[in-house]
This record gives sequence, C-alpha cells and structure tokens, in this order.
Amino acid sequence: MTDLSKLRNFSIVAHIDHGKSTLADRLLEECNTIDKREMEDQILDNMELERERGITIKARAVRLNYKADDGEDYVLNLIDTPGHVDFNYEVSRSLTACEGAVLVVDASQGIEAQTLANTYLAIDTGLEVLPVVNKIDLPAARPQEVKQEIEDIIGIPAMDAPEISAKNGINIHDVLEMVVRDVPAPQGDRDAPLRALIFDSQYDSYRGVIVYLRVIDGTIRPGMDVKMMATGAEYKVVECGYLAPKGMIPCDGLGAGEVGYLTASIKTVSDTRVGDTVTGLENPASEPLPGYKQVQPMVFSGVYPADGSKYGDLRDALEKLKLNDASMSYVQENSIALGFGFRCGFLGLLHMEVILERLEREYNLDLITTAPNVVYEITKTDGTELNVYTPLNYPDPMEIAEAREPFVKANIIAPQEYVGNIMELCQQRRGEFKDMTYLDTTRVELHYDMPLNEIIYDFFDALKSRTRGYASLDYELIGYRQSKLVKLDILLNGDQVDALSFILFADSAYARARKTCVKLKENIPRQMFEIPVQAAIGGKIIARETIKALRKDVLAKCYGGDITRKKKLLEKQKEGKKRMRSFGSVSVPSEAFMAVLKLDEE
Amino acid sequence: MELFKKNAKAPVELKPLGIYVHVPFCRSKCEYCDFYSLGGGLNQESMDLYLQAILTHIKEAAQRAVGYSVDSIYFGGGTPSFFGEQGLIRILSEIDRRFLVEKDAEITLEANPDSVTAQSLAKLRRAGFNRISIGVQCDDDAQLKSLGRPHTYKQAQMAVSQARRVGFANISVDLMFGLPSQSREQWMSTLRNVMDLKVDHISCYGLKVEPNTRLYEYRDCANLPDDDAQADMYFYAVETLESFGYVQYEISNFSLPGMECRHNMKYWTGQPYMGFGPAASSDFGGKRYTAAADLDRYITGVMEQGIILSECESIPLRERAGEYLMLRLRTAHGIEENEYMQTYLLPFEPLEKLLCMYETRGLAMKEESGRWRLTPKGFMVSNSILVQLLEAQQQSKPLAKVRK
Repeated sequence: MTDLSKLRNFSIVAHIDHGKSTLADRLLEECNTIDKREMEDQILDNMELERERGITIKARAVRLNYKADDGEDYVLNLIDTPGHVDFNYEVSRSLTACEGAVLVVDASQGIEAQTLANTYLAIDTGLEVLPVVNKIDLPAARPQEVKQEIEDIIGIPAMDAPEISAKNGINIHDVLEMVVRDVPAPQGDRDAPLRALIFDSQYDSYRGVIVYLRVIDGTIRPGMDVKMMATGAEYKVVECGYLAPKGMIPCDGLGAGEVGYLTASIKTVSDTRVGDTVTGLENPASEPLPGYKQVQPMVFSGVYPADGSKYGDLRDALEKLKLNDASMSYVQENSIALGFGFRCGFLGLLHMEVILERLEREYNLDLITTAPNVVYEITKTDGTELNVYTPLNYPDPMEIAEAREPFVKANIIAPQEYVGNIMELCQQRRGEFKDMTYLDTTRVELHYDMPLNEIIYDFFDALKSRTRGYASLDYELIGYRQSKLVKLDILLNGDQVDALSFILFADSAYARARKTCVKLKENIPRQMFEIPVQAAIGGKIIARETIKALRKDVLAKCYGGDITRKKKLLEKQKEGKKRMRSFGSVSVPSEAFMAVLKLDEE
Repeated sequence: MELFKKNAKAPVELKPLGIYVHVPFCRSKCEYCDFYSLGGGLNQESMDLYLQAILTHIKEAAQRAVGYSVDSIYFGGGTPSFFGEQGLIRILSEIDRRFLVEKDAEITLEANPDSVTAQSLAKLRRAGFNRISIGVQCDDDAQLKSLGRPHTYKQAQMAVSQARRVGFANISVDLMFGLPSQSREQWMSTLRNVMDLKVDHISCYGLKVEPNTRLYEYRDCANLPDDDAQADMYFYAVETLESFGYVQYEISNFSLPGMECRHNMKYWTGQPYMGFGPAASSDFGGKRYTAAADLDRYITGVMEQGIILSECESIPLRERAGEYLMLRLRTAHGIEENEYMQTYLLPFEPLEKLLCMYETRGLAMKEESGRWRLTPKGFMVSNSILVQLLEAQQQSKPLAKVRK
C-alpha cells in the first residue's frame, strides 16, 4: 500500500478537442508506464467507437509511477471522464474519486463552454483545479492571453500554468511536477470502517463484474466480505488490485486514498451501480458516501433487427451490452410492422446513439430504431393510471382523461451575445423562462422549465449551432405536468406502419406531420408503383406526400462478357432489398427510420 | 449434310456454337466507354502480336469444339474495323479453317464510320462478313465530338450507304440516348434521320455512366438527363421504331422482321459461345470463363501456354435457372411455364403470381402462346422486377426429381 502522502488522484477536464486524451497518452509515456512501441493514440479510450468519435464514453482509470524532481516516488492515479451531458452523473462520480483536476485549455481557442461546465463541476466537487495551456506549438497560440482569461473568468490563479504541447510532447514533465506539488494528497483512515466509491464497472466473462473504485476510508483485502450499500448486494472479494495501462495488477490490499479494482464473482452489473458505496460486512460504515442516485433511463426507443430473423442475435447482444452498461434497460416489444424487437431505455440521445452504434459494430447487427420518446403518464376516463413507454401502447384519445409529460429544469451557460438565439430556441421548444443571471461581464446562465421530450431530439445540437459551440447545457427532471398530447400515425400506401407512430405535443402535430412525410418521401426509394405517404391523427389525414413510381432501373446492355458482372449487380441489389423492410408491397430502408428521427436538421 | 462445308462425315447431332472475337484497338477512347480497348491509335507491333496470339488461340481451342458447328461469328471491340481488313480476314479464315462453320452462318463486324472505306468494306464482304454493325450514336456532330467519337454524322451516313453498295444485306446501327445535355427534341431528330438510312437493325442504348471512364470523373457537371428524361426518350424510341416497322425483340434492340441478331440472341437464350482475344468471355462446356482484360497477358499467355483467364466458374443448374429469368426476360420472346419447369425442375407458380401482379400494372403481359414477357415499361424497370422474381425463385422448392 502506498503511503497517503505519496498518492495523487486526479482527472483531466477540458472542452472537447482541447487535447484531453492526447495529454493522457503523453503522461503515460512520460512515466514509462508504457513502451512507445505499444503506444496507440487515445490509449484510455479503448472502445473503437470512442477513438473514432474522439469522445470518452466510459470512465477509465490508470495508475502511473512517477519519480519526481524531489527524488521521491509517487503513485499517480489518472481518472479519465466522459464529457457529454448524458453522462453527467458518471462525470460527477468520477470527479468525486479525485482530489485534483488538471484543466486543459487550448492556447488558441481559450475558454469554451465545456471548460466552464467541467471546471465548475470540479470546483463544486471540491477539487483543486490546475490549469494547463495546451497546443502552444500552434501558430495561433496566445498562451498569455488565455492564462489571463482563466484568471478573469474562472477566477483561479493561472500565471504559472505549464505551457505544453501534448501532441509534440513539450513540457509534459511540468504537468507531472504540478500534479505532485499542487494536488492535495488524499486523506482517510485506513483502519476506519471501509467506504469505497464505485465510479465504474465492467463485465468480464471470466471474472464477472470488475468494479472500479476509490477507497475513501478503511482497507479492502481479498477474502473480505463486502456489501454494496445502495443495492444491499453482498459478496466476498476474490481479488483487488491496481489499474495498469495494459491490464490489472493484483495486490494484497487497497487502502484509503487508493484507486483500483475488485472482483468478487459478481454476476450482474446492476448490483454494482456507479456512485454506490462499498463497505465491509463486518464493521460496516454507518453512513454511505453522499451523492448516490439511481440513474433512470429517460429516453425510450424501439430497436428492431433490420432482418427479422436476427431477433435472437439482438437479444443476445443486448444481454451482453447490459452487463457493461447498467444504465440501459430493455424489454421485449412486438410491432405489427417490424415484428419482434425491444423497447430500450437510454440516458439521453447520445447514449442511445452510442449503444446502437455498438450493437451494430460489435455485434454486427443491422438495426431499425423508432423515434425516441419519453415516458408519458396517462389518467384514463375510467380512473386508471398508465405509464406509456411506447406509442404502440398509447390509448385511444377517447379513453384519455388527462395526459402528462416529464419536465426538466434546464440550465444553459453561454456568452451573453447568444442570449437572443437561446431564448428563441427555448421558446420554440415550449420552454418556460425562469430566470437569467450574469456570471461575469460576459457570461450568463439561463434557467428554463422545458418538456424533456423537446430536449431529447436534437436540442443540444441546435443549441450548439446557435451559439457557435459556446453554450453548455445541464438538466434535471423536475416532475410531470399536464399536457396536450396526440399520437401521430404514418400510412404508407394506405397501410398504417405502427413503428413510425409517435407521441407529440398537439400544437406541433401539423408541422411535424408535414416534415415527416417529406423526409419519408426523400428516404424511401421510388418503387415500381406510386406510393402515397400520409400522416394521420386518430384516422384523420393531416399531411400527404407521394413517392412517384420508379421509371428506370435497367441494364441497357447485356452481352456475353456482361453476364457475370450483371448477375453480381442484381445480387447486390437483392442484398440491398433484404436490408429493407417490406410493409405490404412497399420496401422501406432503415435509413428512412433514422431520417424521421432527425427531423429538425435544416 | 450440305449444311457443313467440311467433314462430310460429321455426326448428325451437331450443336450450334457462337464465336466472339474481341479486337481491343481503337483510334481513340470514347468518354463513356468501359470496354477493354486500347485507344492509343495505331500500334503495329501490338497488333501483329495480337494477331499471332489469336490465331494460335483459335487453332488450339478448336480442338475442344468437336461436335459443334458454328452458326454465328461476331467481331466486337474495341473497333474491329480500325484493326484493318487484312487482319480481320486472317482471323476469319483461321476460324473457318479450324471450326465447322455453317454456310449461312451470321458473321458480324462492328465498325466505326471513320475506319471503313468502300474498298475495305468490299473486301470484307467478299471474305464472308455478311452483317455489319456501325457505331452511329447520334446525328449531332457537336455531341459526337464531346463524346470523343472520331467521326461525324455525315461519315456515318456514308458508311451505311457504302456497306449497302458492296452487298451487306444486314446492316445495323448503334444509337445512344441520355447523352450529356441531350434534349428530347435532339433525340427525336436522331431517330428521324436514322429512319432515312433504311437499316435492318437498330440498337438503342441509354447512356450509363460507368466507373473507370472519363465521363465518370465529370459526371456531376455533365448535365446528364435524369432517369425520368431517359425513360421518356426510351419510350419515344420504342414507339417511333415500331411505327417504322422495327420490332423490339430485346430491351435495347430492334429489327425488321427476321433480322434479329442471331449471335446476340445466343447470349440471351443461354446457348454456348466461345470468345477469343483479351477480355472475351465464353460459355462453353458448362463453364463461363473470361480472358484477362490485358493484351500483354493474353499474348504471353497464349504464346507461352500460360494462364489467360481472369475468371472461370461452373454454373450449377439452380444458377442457370436465375440466368434464364435474367436473360430471357430481356427478350420479347420471354419465358414459358413448361420450358422453365422441365429444364430447371422448379415451380412456376411463385413467378406467375408476381407476373400477374406486374400485368395489372402494365409491366408484363402473357402472350396468347402462353409465354410471359415484359412490356417496354417493364423492360425499363426490369432490374426491380428481376430482383423480386429471383427472390421468389430462390425461396421455391425444387419439384420432385424424376426417378430413373
């Protein structure tokens, strides 16, 4: 066990693209934790998807051994965090596991929205925030001005902040020295009752769930009986250890202040929720660590295999994915149009996109997803209460006495010149203005009450585009409010396609209906006959488009040398058709389903 | 046995065979062309080597064609006429020497207006060529130029009349529609002018932009007529040609009655053919194979007895059944229930169900003879139709096999 005074636990926070993951790579190299030859970019983002999108989805931790200039050996635990509002809770839990945060700011771009949002999150969590100015090798770098900005806007000393280039490995040593010097050593009593914070977990098919944790008090040892304080699950620790960049290194105990993992033959990830406290069965802690809340899926969507016969594969894939991501939920669902599938619950739209992309990539599935929706509460005329998770179960309008939808309190922080744009957007999305405060001379914070339904579509993207990326958004559920809701049905060639139905605010129905019909027209290929595309509410048609009949799809020339080639072409076309779903005599590609999800992209 | 020039003792049951000769030389490469051809103009050395190789190849391959008599020979390219009549005649006489060629065999030469003269045509006719297919494409010289065609419409008119004068009784012209910037009126004008040529056979191709062509590179700014415009041009051609007595016997082919191209019909009815020259395909002995599209490889392959094929596959019956639909439905002759069931031992009902549905939409029709064919409207969307038919075929279970 490392002496408390030689331990430093920190994370790196930054606006997207300011070089967080690259700096992490350099720190690993600098500590010789990993050979140059084994080095891949963004080593902590080991999900293929994370690397490609340049985002961090899951929290990660890695232990570095560092011999500082004072001649002492230190153990540094770097905890990487996801950056998106969907995973806000995970971020705040990860930060709770640290004493300090290195704030990376791009030397040419300066402070941006997420710089602030993440910094405030770190400060609120009680962390020491240590600024670093990155990308000083860029021609447009203006490190002195950026330091001044940090002091003026955030209000933390920044004049001594290291000026680095993570990309080119300049002054990385200074960052490590700063961490050792300025991040407070953890405190905690290694003889006290055990309290350890879970900040992530992962499923391993050999060892069961691997729990990543930070020990706050006490000591974890193999063989010890432990209990998860929120879920009440009890286990015997099989192994505990440190997190090295290329795997796990077992040890005989993790003491207060240390970051590591434990395995205990845990079969279900949902027993080990992020934010929960692990304590000993013998000599338990009286109080769990503060701040735990159970994460609830907020957005639901129907997920179906594009090829109906792959239902079993989809089920297996969801089962496996759920092992690694307890925040996702799924139940079986049956659509007339799409057959068997699942209604899946997600934290938000990015979470949904990530899960769907992982299903398609890691499990090689072609999926059709239906429009995402929130959970609606309905009081029927006979007095019964109903939670509606899917448009498929939406009752007949005649049976509805009252419908309610979830509202959130949205906090938006942005430079004040964008206030007009933001207000306009929020009004369009049925936002109710609460208040506005100036954070300093240039930045404001706006509060709105908004229907969650309006946020889950593409609110974040719209907000970003209207504020040139400077706005940051945070929201929390504040409860249900009565609302005027309708279910919009879509008919192709006169037949209703249940998987395209969705629930929405009545006043938006006409505009949405029109847009949906247009989108479908654009995304359903012309077929051998004309196809009417209609939108209806309770049997009344409110919008219509027509897909004209296909007039040319022919191989004009086909002689001796062409036959093999043309056969392959037809075969390809046949494959393409297989990826479409047939509704009556209409073939619909899965892109059409995706396209109606992204209606507001203009 | 009078049918056969040689070998009077040939077995009675001779099977017909088509021969295709690929001549991969051109004066220049057209903008839209994705056939294998060398557009660099005259290169006497490669032409000589090519000639030697193809003569050797013909001699060798003929040994495998025992039991076959050749009833069609087709010289395609490239631009065979550009290769020169001497070489062409050498090749034809080698085929005649090595194979059993029927007296009334159809012997076609593809030609471009710029590479024929009255003299050369006369020589070719005398040597046995009896059908000529001339690349005309359109009647607008500016358009011809922008397509990279090395001739004018006037030269095309000349070529047709010269061919007629030296005794070609079967003349075909190739036309194209859907050309860059081409209007419906321009296409109508081409058709009207071509009617004056009084040819026996016309092929009308909608321009398709293929990858690896120059046109492909600038396709987005080529002002190409869209699919709807192409469809309109096509239907206009079908109507016009019909009113002038040309019968549509395949998606893109029209002829005066009895003047259908025998050689091309072989491709669409699944009869055997042998190909010579680089990139030439054969369907022979139950296998379909293609020579590499590489002149040097072809020459060294033949001369040093190496490998010249780039592809070779045996086609099982089940796949032949798919080809039957794909190829026969290109023709006006179409498909027929008993023919299909007896040849491929598959049920016709799943297909007929779809065909009836197409009939109600004007895409297919059942002739009084009981044969099913596609209408011109159906031809134009035949890929979509075939995809559905092939799917239905794939899902159908073979009929009980005949017990021996």
